[in-house]
This record gives sequence, C-alpha cells and structure tokens, in this order.
Amino acid sequence: MKITVRQLTLCAVLAALALALSYMESFFPLALLVPLPGVKLGLANIVTLYALYALGFPSALSILLVRCTLGALFAGNLSALLFSLLGGVSALLVMALLSRAKKLSIFGVSVAGAAAHNCGQVCAAMITLGSSAPLYYLPFLLLVSLFTGALSGLVTAFLFRAMAHTPYGKEN
Amino acid sequence: MKRFPELKPTKWDALVVLAVVLLALGLAARPFLAARTADALTVVVSIDGETVERMPLERYEGGSYESRGYTVRVAAEGGAVRVAESDCPNQDCVHTGAISRAGQSIVCLPARVAVTLEGASAGYDVIVG
Repeated sequence: MKITVRQLTLCAVLAALALALSYMESFFPLALLVPLPGVKLGLANIVTLYALYALGFPSALSILLVRCTLGALFAGNLSALLFSLLGGVSALLVMALLSRAKKLSIFGVSVAGAAAHNCGQVCAAMITLGSSAPLYYLPFLLLVSLFTGALSGLVTAFLFRAMAHTPYGKEN
Repeated sequence: MKRFPELKPTKWDALVVLAVVLLALGLAARPFLAARTADALTVVVSIDGETVERMPLERYEGGSYESRGYTVRVAAEGGAVRVAESDCPNQDCVHTGAISRAGQSIVCLPARVAVTLEGASAGYDVIVG
C-alpha cells in the first residue's frame, strides 16, 4: 500500500478523532432511553464511513484497528476488544461492499453498517457468554440501528460538505 | 478521495432499511409467536456458558447467582422470570424486565449470566416410572 505523508497524517487524525468520539459517546448514554445491552450512538462509525470513501478500504481498516486496540488499552478492558473488533470489522466489511453500489447514498451504506455492527457485537456476546441468549436482543438492536445509522450517515454527509474545499471532500 | 458518495438519500436506501426491518422481524418472530404456556416452560440459568440451573418455570422460585464478583438475583412470579436485583455496573439485565415466552432471554454480560426460557420440546413434561 503506497501512502503519502498527507494521507498518513489524515489517518492519524481520524484515528484520534474516532477514539475521542468513542469516549465522548459515554456522556450520551442512549441506553437510558432504550434499555438494551450494547445500545449506543456508534459515533466512531462516522470516522470509518468517512475514511472508507476518502481514503479507501486499507486506510479505513488501519484506523479501525488502531481505534479498537487503543480504546481497549485506555479503558483497561481487554474483553471489550472482542466486542469492538467484531462489531467494527463487520460494519466496515458491509459498508465497503455496499459503497460499491452506486445507487445507494451514504445513508443506506451507514444504516447497513450500523446493523452489521450490532450483528458483530451480538456474535461477540454469544462467544463471551457461550450461549445463544444474546440473540434475543438482536431484533431490537437492529431497529435502533436504523436511527443511529441514519444519524451517522447525516453527520458524515455534513462532514463531506464541510470538507468540500479540501482534496478529501470533493470529487476528483 | 477514492470514491465520492451520494450525499442525498436515494430510493434504494429504502431497500437497505427494508432488509434490516425484515431481518429484525424474522429474528423476533420465533419467541413472539411462541404460545404463552407458562406450565411448559423451562428456566435455564447459565454462567460462562455452563448451565447451573434447569427447572420447570412453575417450580422455579428464583435464586441468587454469584459470578465474577457480582450477585444477580432472579425472581419468578406470575409465569415470568426477571432479574430483580444485580450489582453490575450497567443494570441492563434489570432493565430487560420480565420474560415469559419460550426463546426469550435475559443477559447480564458483566457477570456472564444468562437466563433463558426454553419451550416444552426442550425438556420433559412428566417423567413416569
């Protein structure tokens, strides 16, 4: 993978932004509104989605791996690593696949990514618990992901409009 | 810039929403279509994937389960079970509320405790002889 200094710097900034967003998210506990395990806004997915379009799949994957590893290290919680990795990688794979469909907008891609994130996390919960019990929560999580996915799609669309004056926010 | 995204929703996005809704409905259908037959249900409590208690719902009187430094108290009443009390940090298990149908579960992830209701087919109604 050939990468310019400018791209590398953008990757580093985006990884830091994703970490900050994951931390910030804990101040807006969506779980108070919808009492389900694992419910959250998924703000860090904004960074994955932006990186996927602006920098491509390899960079988006690197940012994701750095975010998950450092996030688990900072939180001092290694069992959280499985959750963020399975959720994050599933979301990225689905979004990378769907972003190739020209007829889908950033909203559709984002909603599918949020849904895939929940599927990945429920898988992680099933592995951790050694039981299929967490599957019961998945339908509710999927319905919530319609809203959180649309929200992060909206924010990413704003981000692209705000970045329109840079090489990483316009068509070339 | 690798690929510039479409920034306005298209009608194809509705297809993604539909797919997610259908997946959710399909997954939800099983426990919700199951009949509310409390006498045939079995309570299964597992810790770290190992079943520690398995009992017909009508005979289950609740219990306290200790795991990973947490205590989860399960209560049974009126053909339903719920986590009445837990000292886990996020309280998701308590907020899940009561479950009363086959296939439903309550999970306490910090304590690694899962309470599941199984249908009649998963156990025996009566053992004779």
